[in-house]
Amino acid sequence: MRIGRYEFKLEKRLSLTGWKAAIISIFAVIFALALFSFIFILAEINPLLAYREMFSYAFVNPYGLPLTINRFIFLLLCTSAFIIPFRAGLWNIGMPGQLYAGALGAFAVLYAFGVKDFRTSDLSPGILIPLMLIVAALGGVGLGAIAGVLKGKFNINEIVVTMILNFIAFWLVSHMIKEGGPFMNPGGRGESFELPSSLYPPMIMGVPFTIFLALGVAVLLYFMFAKTRIGYKIKAHGLSPAASRYAGISTFKIPLLVFIMGGALAGWAGYHYFAAVPGVYKISRNYGYFGDLAFYGIICGLISLGNPLAAIPVALLFGGLSVGGRFVQGQLNMSFGLDYALLGVLMITLVAFQFFYRYQIGWAKTGEERLDVGVLR
Amino acid sequence: MQTGLLEGIARGETVLEARGITKRFPAVVANDQIDFEIRAGEIHAILGENGAGKSTLMNILFGLLQPDEGEIYIGGKSVKFRSPLDAIDLGIGMVHQNRKLVAAHTVIENIILGHPRAGRILNLNRTGDEITELCEKYGFKIDLRAKVWQLSEGEKQVVEILKALYRGARVLILDEPTTALAPPETAKLLASIEAMARDELAIVPFITHKLPIVLAVSDRVTVLRRGKVTARLDTDRVTEKSLAKKMVGREVIFRLERTKVEKGKTILDVENLSALSDKGFLALKGVSFSVCEGEIFGIAGISGNGQHELAEVLAGLRKAEGGRVILEGQDITRSSSLERWQMGLGYIPSERTEVGSIGDFSLVENVTMNFYFDSNYSPRGIMDYRKIRKLTEGIVAEYDVVTPGPDTKAKNLSGGNLQKLILARVLSRKPRLLIANLPTQGLDVGATEFVRKKLIEAKKEKAGILLISEDLDEILSLSDWVAPVYEGEFMGIIPGDKAQRQRVGAMMAGSRPEGLET
Amino acid sequence: MWEFFARSLAASTIFTFAALGELIDQRSGILNVGIEGVMLFGATLGFIAAQVTGSYVIGFLVGIAIGGLLGLLHGFFSITLGADQVVVGMGIWILGFGLTTYIGNPYTGPLGMDRIPTILGLSPFFYVGLVLVIVSWFVLSKTSLGLKIRSVGENPSVAEVSGVDVTKTRYLCVTVGGMLMGLSGAIYSLYYNPVWNYNFLMGWGFIALALVFFSMWNPWILLGGSLLFGTLWQLSLNPQLVLPGVLSRYIWRTVPFVITIGVLLIISTKWFRIRWGAARPEALAVPYVKE
Repeated sequence: MRIGRYEFKLEKRLSLTGWKAAIISIFAVIFALALFSFIFILAEINPLLAYREMFSYAFVNPYGLPLTINRFIFLLLCTSAFIIPFRAGLWNIGMPGQLYAGALGAFAVLYAFGVKDFRTSDLSPGILIPLMLIVAALGGVGLGAIAGVLKGKFNINEIVVTMILNFIAFWLVSHMIKEGGPFMNPGGRGESFELPSSLYPPMIMGVPFTIFLALGVAVLLYFMFAKTRIGYKIKAHGLSPAASRYAGISTFKIPLLVFIMGGALAGWAGYHYFAAVPGVYKISRNYGYFGDLAFYGIICGLISLGNPLAAIPVALLFGGLSVGGRFVQGQLNMSFGLDYALLGVLMITLVAFQFFYRYQIGWAKTGEERLDVGVLR
Repeated sequence: MQTGLLEGIARGETVLEARGITKRFPAVVANDQIDFEIRAGEIHAILGENGAGKSTLMNILFGLLQPDEGEIYIGGKSVKFRSPLDAIDLGIGMVHQNRKLVAAHTVIENIILGHPRAGRILNLNRTGDEITELCEKYGFKIDLRAKVWQLSEGEKQVVEILKALYRGARVLILDEPTTALAPPETAKLLASIEAMARDELAIVPFITHKLPIVLAVSDRVTVLRRGKVTARLDTDRVTEKSLAKKMVGREVIFRLERTKVEKGKTILDVENLSALSDKGFLALKGVSFSVCEGEIFGIAGISGNGQHELAEVLAGLRKAEGGRVILEGQDITRSSSLERWQMGLGYIPSERTEVGSIGDFSLVENVTMNFYFDSNYSPRGIMDYRKIRKLTEGIVAEYDVVTPGPDTKAKNLSGGNLQKLILARVLSRKPRLLIANLPTQGLDVGATEFVRKKLIEAKKEKAGILLISEDLDEILSLSDWVAPVYEGEFMGIIPGDKAQRQRVGAMMAGSRPEGLET
Repeated sequence: MWEFFARSLAASTIFTFAALGELIDQRSGILNVGIEGVMLFGATLGFIAAQVTGSYVIGFLVGIAIGGLLGLLHGFFSITLGADQVVVGMGIWILGFGLTTYIGNPYTGPLGMDRIPTILGLSPFFYVGLVLVIVSWFVLSKTSLGLKIRSVGENPSVAEVSGVDVTKTRYLCVTVGGMLMGLSGAIYSLYYNPVWNYNFLMGWGFIALALVFFSMWNPWILLGGSLLFGTLWQLSLNPQLVLPGVLSRYIWRTVPFVITIGVLLIISTKWFRIRWGAARPEALAVPYVKE
């Protein structure tokens, strides 16, 4: 293609530096937001106004900011849960199921200690909260391990399996918290019993301690991929299972391991939202909404190209956008599901931008001679 | 377009002519003013080393590439090919070395695919009759309802030839027609080629090594070197030696020195080993042999006779169905591939890009493939990339790997350089047993020589080496023991200095000599 | 009992259409894991169009059209741009899931039109599905076009040198495949369960995807699989028909999913693979770049 004096053409990238990738990702997000503004325009709303409302609510407003931070913690854990298998070349879209299992695990601990019927009054948070975290992780691990074994041992498509496990876990939660299920709230509103206030997790400046969990995990994962033997094995498997098998890396253990790790983190995401976010402290009726939000983790993971540290700002941004989207939807009397629509638009834009990770637009100045032709001497 | 240009051409008339073909690539002139012509009923071989410009010329004649300069004439008329389809329509057929066939489909489906006369609804019976007729005419034998993956290499080649003929080809381009064929299959093919030539077809085989084949059937030969025609000769006036000289540009030594190393203790013992192929049939049927220190044990055979499965079983990548593998006194039949690496086994796979390396990894990371488990390079599970980097730099320098640097991705290396890197990586573990599966396949002369030299060096350092190759010359010149393999069985194990070319060739095709059992 | 049978067949039909669309995609070498997204679009837009215009015909046409468009979109990314097909499929699914939630929300509730009449007591779409199975089987295995499609899915570079236009063939397949998926969604929301609700499909598309793997890419086995899963699905909604009072109704909802995993497990065993493994299109999900 020729524009003016420049010749443009597509070239295959030989290498992609971190900075270039970051710039492409930023462009992708900006482009998605521009595309998304059509939704506002169709609803006869000035998109600039809408975005200003969204951002200011999400990142400045004293009511919005804590919501954003809580969602950020949740998303970062989900993103990490996606990234680990992703680096091994596998797709974990089972975060919703794994986080439901995590939430069930956390509440199972409470149930076992008789919290539901107020049988015990002597609840030591120092023991119970760690125990809840462990069992929540185990819940996610259990679900993840199924996908891992099925992939590693039987080579069954992990996308289908994790998605199917999502539905199974979804109905299991309903079974547990509704219509006489063991975790049902005696009030009969179709939600679980509530966390006793003595087990509210510690807060630091109004933020649940899980933020350190999420950030710590991201840093550890970065280190793991960059420096450790296990990180190397995961990356090798991700790029070429056949070659890594040749090198002695087990094609059974790696899928199992990454799904176990991913499942544990998604389990924590479940703990975080249902047992650590102020004002929730129960498995709420609309638990499915949080499962859906977990899919933002896929987008964060893809945009950060599987880099656990890069995922931090991305998760913060998308956490804020989803909170802000919900808010403007109410504020501007828009139809329900604006945050869902944003999810969809972001995802498809990202897919389109994958192209630029592989190709670049090269240009060259053409024809000094052409200049000469035009000049009369 | 139509085949009309070549209709009614009589024996001896020129069917295809290329004049002044020039093709430039960024770094090289692949074809430089090449003239070439072929007459009906003639077999005109094109000879040249890898990189001589053969494949460029072939792709131009078949319409896959367009020449920068020069013209192609068919039946005396100037033509331009925009794609292979134009070439096919004008009566040019191509038999590819890496077969262009759909493995999961039947022979007949492959032949009829894309054929203009296939019709909307397939009439396989009518087509079958027409193809059977072609087979009878030129002496091909093939089961038209068989799936292509079930066929041998020779049969697949027949399918390609039939496909071209059924499309109405009058000029047949054959790319390395006898590579991967066992000697009897080669003989059958040559007979068919002569039958086709008698029927006024023009046949152009492109050949790299197998000079005797050229001498056996062709009428004329054109030799290419560095993109230029260095000779055009009538075949009855040349010898193998003079041809080789024209091709390489210097005298060629056909035999490498076999180095004698004092025989040491046994490293590998294989007892009655058998294994299944990917498709689930018994591909390796109970082979037994042993390899000692300082010995090269050569397995000669056409691919698909179980030697690939043997290599994978030994490397721990495939389950043994029966039998035992003993490495330095330890039974490793059930050991994982990682354990085998740690015990001193080194494996150079034939699939360089899919298995032997990871294209998106840097050279350092590729070298890491054989060192990540080594606590010298990853103390307490933390990788010491600085140390591996130094190792990589050493390898690049010592093995003369042409690359911008150790951080280049492996996919940017050429085949020869990649193979050097893999070889160096495996050898720098100082393996006790080295399994080299088709180590020089597809490499140019320089890289081939280099790889062979390194194998001999490893032998001198008392490693036991299992060499698997299709190249009979390679096996004969390097091996201390030669085991021709056919349909998953060894046809015998012969001491290297007693192995004669002809006998080993016959054994590769399944004949079992009397009184030579091990 | 007849009612149950008829409902099961109606449910099966939805699986048949969606999975047949995916089968055609995959036979040409294109993997679309976003069936559920296409179905959601077909269902939602078809529902809205029918409700607004009061015409079923328009509803179905809109469903088919949007399905075809999404198939083209998937094709553009995976054929023309050569992107990772799993990523693209995920994108289509999440796009469908997100956007239809927003678009459909104002229309939450029943369709409010007369039911489409049955034929001989069965869903009219069942007969259409049967015909489609026969047609696609015939086209794929007995015609020149089918041979081209299969070759493109097995080995596109071979097809190309044999004179088959790989790009065109694949575009044809993804478009037709997408139309079938969109139609399947519209049948759901206009016939099987004419009520719009957020994310109402709850996994139909993913089960359809599993069905294609299960079918060994054979339309007849696919039909059998659809019947099995349609019945199972219906059973999971009405457990009282077989085992009244056992387990909560929520546990029953998991049954089709658990069985899907069981089926996937069976077809992945070595025994099964060696017999049927060759059926998998060799170039499935591999981007084709012309030499």
